[in-house]
Amino acid sequence: MQRSHLIRLIIVSIILFILLFPLVFLGIWSIGSSWPWPYLIPQTLTLEVWLDFFSSGNKAWLALRESFIIGSGVTILAVMISIPAGRSLAFYQFPGKELIKLLVLAPIIIPPLAVTMGIHINFMRYGLSGTIWGVMLVHLIPTIPYSIKILTDTFRVNGQKLERQAQVLGANLGQRFFYVTFPLIKPGILAAGIMVFIISFSQYFLTFLMGEGRVITFPMVLFPLVEQGNRTLAAVYSWVFILAILIFTVILELILKDRVKGESDFYIVD
Amino acid sequence: MKLVNSSFWKPYLLLLPALIILVGLFLGGVALAIMQSLGYFPLLGLEEFTFDYFREIFADPHFLTSLGYSLYISLVSAVISVIVGVFFAFQLMRLADRYRVINILYKLPIIVPHIVVALLIFLLFTQSGFWARLAYRLGWIEEMSQFPALIFDRRGIGIIFAYLWKQIPFVTLIVYTIFKNINQRWEQVALNLGASKIQVFWNIYLPLAMPGIASAFIIIFAFSFGAFEIPLLLGPSYPRTLPVLAYQRYASSDLSQRPYAMAITVVISLISILLILIYKKIMDYYQLKK
Repeated sequence: MQRSHLIRLIIVSIILFILLFPLVFLGIWSIGSSWPWPYLIPQTLTLEVWLDFFSSGNKAWLALRESFIIGSGVTILAVMISIPAGRSLAFYQFPGKELIKLLVLAPIIIPPLAVTMGIHINFMRYGLSGTIWGVMLVHLIPTIPYSIKILTDTFRVNGQKLERQAQVLGANLGQRFFYVTFPLIKPGILAAGIMVFIISFSQYFLTFLMGEGRVITFPMVLFPLVEQGNRTLAAVYSWVFILAILIFTVILELILKDRVKGESDFYIVD
Repeated sequence: MKLVNSSFWKPYLLLLPALIILVGLFLGGVALAIMQSLGYFPLLGLEEFTFDYFREIFADPHFLTSLGYSLYISLVSAVISVIVGVFFAFQLMRLADRYRVINILYKLPIIVPHIVVALLIFLLFTQSGFWARLAYRLGWIEEMSQFPALIFDRRGIGIIFAYLWKQIPFVTLIVYTIFKNINQRWEQVALNLGASKIQVFWNIYLPLAMPGIASAFIIIFAFSFGAFEIPLLLGPSYPRTLPVLAYQRYASSDLSQRPYAMAITVVISLISILLILIYKKIMDYYQLKK
């Protein structure tokens, strides 16, 4: 028994090493200034590229800000769309429900590439291409399948009992939403929000096509660096990219965390 | 009467914002793509429906090579991802909750954007990359060029590595959750009746997790089949994958190439839809077995 446990631990560690080593290696590249063949470690270390990035007036900052604005906008829109949609799919039986469920998941299977190329001309006609709004709209396509799915599951798990109780006790629609429904579905909103943000933030192709070179997000800046093989700079930008996603996740978690401790215990009712 | 009426419309009303996006943008985009692939493109003065563009791309050897190349890359990376991912999930579950930190760390690749993944694979596997240097140090090769070309190669090894790195944790995440929720008693009963550990895995865990495994397979296959970034950054200039081929035609200054680009994207979509149908069949099969 003990031996099989050890073997298992070794296997898991090997896979984990394969998954994590590239990220560590990326970190080393970001501080290596001279790293000629065939050295296994950089010959001189420098923080110059990092400092350069954090110095003001860097264009990458503008791109990062643009990415944050678009990512946050898409997250808010997607969640606002998905809350009523999830509620509907979780609690109601109605004609056409199966068809709509299929439609909700379809964008995961049919590549956004096909959809975006098809719709591009119409966006041009309405002046949406090349604008932040156009980019946010197309980002909704690959993201809402996930947010609707997550929120539907959240509503289904929570059920309607507490809302009914509040209704019986005389709470109006607004009160029911803010004091009962919203606190209950917060974990679902958090999970959906993180998922949507990551997908939107990482999006290259849709932004590239719909932004027409006028909406410069962070992936627009990083892509040419990787393409040209500019290793040190690309490594720094990549780490910034990953850190930005992690920071947003933490921010979202802080916003949606229960402010009063122990408050959540209150909702644990059969 | 009014009450009944309003409750009839309520679920649709709640779904309205989502349906505006899904029908207006998504279905609208699909419909436009299909119309353009059939040669209906008023902007270019094309107004007659025709299957010519499909006929022509299927007669084009470059397209057929790309189709094979795309299928090969997505299939190989999805199959290996599922096998390793399920295996990893099972090992993780067996280790129980004693190693919390492992459960967080293995998910990291899921949040790493595809462009960054391309860079990672590039840094590690080019002929001047880490593994080539290590091979040199170990005396396995004497110069850079002896290290096999894994990036920009026609076998798509670099592309497949990139997808594996990103997809294995995804499969593990989905399957691990299912494994965790499988009732422990079944395993105990099976062991009591003399089943081996391998039998427990094959006859209890695997069939119960099959719907989840199948949907993970579909999601990662469809994603890589329609993805653009990684094959563009790590792939050879010939053959191109289908999405890259489609984009090249789309971005061409010669607008008459557009219908061909759309025909290629429609083929990509149709193959993905075919997968869904196969998935349905598998699900029905397992439903019947239960």
